[in-house]
Amino acid sequence: MTGTWTIFRREVGQYFAQPTAYLVAFGMLLLTGLYFNADLAFSVTERMVNPAVIPEFLSFILVFFAPLLTMRLLAEETREGTLELLLTAPVSDTPIVVGKFLGAWFYYTVLLALTFVYQFIVMQVTNADLGHSLCAYIGIWLYGGATLAVGLLFSALTENQVVAAFLAMATLLFLWLGDLAGQIVANLDLARLIRELTLGGHFSSSFAVGIVRAEDIAYYAGMIAIMLFISIRVVESKRWR
Amino acid sequence: MIEVENLTKHYGHHTAVDGLTFTADAGEIVGLLGPNGAGKTTTMRMLTGFMPPTSGSARIAGFDIFTDSLEVRKRVGYLPERVPLYPDMTVKGYVTFWAELRGAKQPRQQAERALEMVNLSDRRNTLVRNLSKGMRQRLGLAQALVHDPQVVILDEPTIGIDPQQVIEVRERVRALRQQHTVLFSTHILSEAEQICDRVVIINKGKIVAQGAPNALRQQLQHGVNLYVQISGANSATAGRLLSDLRGVQSVEAQGDGFIVRARQGADVRGDIAQRVVQAGYTLLEMRPVAMTLEEIFLDIVGKGQAS
Ligand SMILES: Nc1ncnc2c1ncn2[C@@H]1O[C@H](COP(=O)(O)OP(=O)(O)OP(=O)(O)O)[C@@H](O)[C@H]1O
Ligand SMILES: [Mg+2]
Repeated sequence: MTGTWTIFRREVGQYFAQPTAYLVAFGMLLLTGLYFNADLAFSVTERMVNPAVIPEFLSFILVFFAPLLTMRLLAEETREGTLELLLTAPVSDTPIVVGKFLGAWFYYTVLLALTFVYQFIVMQVTNADLGHSLCAYIGIWLYGGATLAVGLLFSALTENQVVAAFLAMATLLFLWLGDLAGQIVANLDLARLIRELTLGGHFSSSFAVGIVRAEDIAYYAGMIAIMLFISIRVVESKRWR
Repeated sequence: MIEVENLTKHYGHHTAVDGLTFTADAGEIVGLLGPNGAGKTTTMRMLTGFMPPTSGSARIAGFDIFTDSLEVRKRVGYLPERVPLYPDMTVKGYVTFWAELRGAKQPRQQAERALEMVNLSDRRNTLVRNLSKGMRQRLGLAQALVHDPQVVILDEPTIGIDPQQVIEVRERVRALRQQHTVLFSTHILSEAEQICDRVVIINKGKIVAQGAPNALRQQLQHGVNLYVQISGANSATAGRLLSDLRGVQSVEAQGDGFIVRARQGADVRGDIAQRVVQAGYTLLEMRPVAMTLEEIFLDIVGKGQAS
C-alpha cells in the first residue's frame, strides 16, 4: 500500500485549499446549527433533549453533502489528465483510490467533530445522555464513510463532476428513501429485507437510539469495502481504453 | 535501455501503433518523429505503463513493461502531452508530491533540485494556477526529473510555448544526455535534428525510417538537387528547357532560379550547362543544395499516405 499516505495527505490538503469544501463545511454547520437550535427551543417545554438530534439530521443531509465532497476526487483527475501521471507512478491502483477515500473521510471527520460542540451545549442545559450521543456519532461517522464511498464510485465512473454528484445524490436518496419504504410495506419479511439493505435502516433504529450492534458496523464496513473495490476496478479499466 | 519489439496497439478496429521495433541505448536521446495521429502518444503511454499493449513487448532497463510494470514505472519519468497539473498546489508542493509518490529518498531536497534545474526555484511558493504556460511546461519537466529516473519520456515538450522558451526547453533536454536515456516525441523535424542522437520516424503507427539525423538524410536523399539560375530566358521557357533534359526528375521555381532534382544516380550538371549554352542563354549559377530533413520527411510520409 505504498503511496496511500502520500495520496491521503494531498487530498486532505486539497480540501483545505478549495472553496467547495469550505462551502460544504459552512452549509453543513449552518444547517445543523439551525436545526439544533430549533430542536432545543422546541424541547425546552415539550420533551427531553434528543441526544442523537444532530446525527439523525446529518443522516439526511449527507445524501446531498457527501457527493459534493467526493465528486472531485477521481472525475477531476480524469478530466485534467493528471490520472495519466498517477497511473504511471510506481504504485498500484488500490492506494490511489483508498488514499483518496481516506482523505475525504478524514475531512468529514473534522466536520463531524466540529458539530460535537453542540453536545457540550446540551450538557450545559440539561444532563443529557452522553453515551447515547457518542453512540449516535459513531454511527453517523460510519454512515458518512459509506455515503462518501458511494460518492467516490460515481466520481470514478464519469469525468464530469456535476454528473458524478448528481448520480451519487440520486443513489443515496434512493438508499435513504428505502428506509421509509421499509416502514410502510405490509409484508413484514419484505419490509425487513428492504431495511437491511438501506443506509438508514442500520442507523435509525440502532446507533440513533444508543445501540452499537456488530451487524450494523459490518454493514457500513462492507458497504465501504464493496464501493472501494468497484472503484478500483473502474480506475483499472481506464487503462484499457 | 529501451527495447521495443513489435509493439502494437488497437483501439477497437483502429490500429494506432503497428508493430514498432526500435531501441534506445543508455545515455542516448531518441526522437520519435511523426505527424499528428502517427501514434507517438500511444507508444509512450504503453512504455510508461499507462496502458497495456495489444501485442508485442517492450523492456525498459531490463524490465518488461507488462509483467514488471511497477519496476519500470520506478525508473521512468514521464511528461504527458497535456501537462498534468494540480492548480491548487504550490509549485514546491506539486513536485514534492510526485517525488514522494515515486519513492524518492529525500523528496524535499530532490524537489528543490529539480526546480533549480528548470529555473523555477524563485516560484516555489506560487500556486500552480498562477504560472504562465511556459513555466507550466517547465514544471512538468521538473516533475518528470524529480526522482532522478534512468529513462525520461517526454511527449512533445515544446508544444505551445514561445520560441525563447522552446530553445530553453530544448537545451534542458539536451543537457539530460549521459545521465538519462531520453525518448522524445515531436512533429517538428528541425527539433528532432537538433536534439536527437537518433530519430525514429513513424507514420500511421509504422516505422518508416530510423537512424542518426545525418545518416537518415544521406540514406533517404535519393538524387541530388541543384540550384540553377539562367539569364536571357523567361522563366517558362527556361523551366521547360530544364525539365526536358534526360535524368531530370522535377524542376521547381525558387527565387530567381530553379531547383532541379535529378533522378537517382544521374549526373545532369554537364547536360544542363551544355543545353543552356546551346539555346543561347547564360548560365549564371549552378550549385548543389542539400535536401532538408523536412523534405525527406514529407517525402516518406507522403509515400506512406499514397500507398
Ligand atoms: N483513447 C483513444 N481511443 C481511440 N482512438 C485513439 C485513442 N487515442 C488515440 N487514438 C487514435 O490513435 C491514433 C494515434 O494517436 P496518438 O495520440 O498516439 O497520435 P500522436 O502521434 O500522439 O499524434 P499528435 O501529434 O496529434 O499528438 C490516432 O488516430 C488517434 O485518433
Ligand atoms: Mg500525441
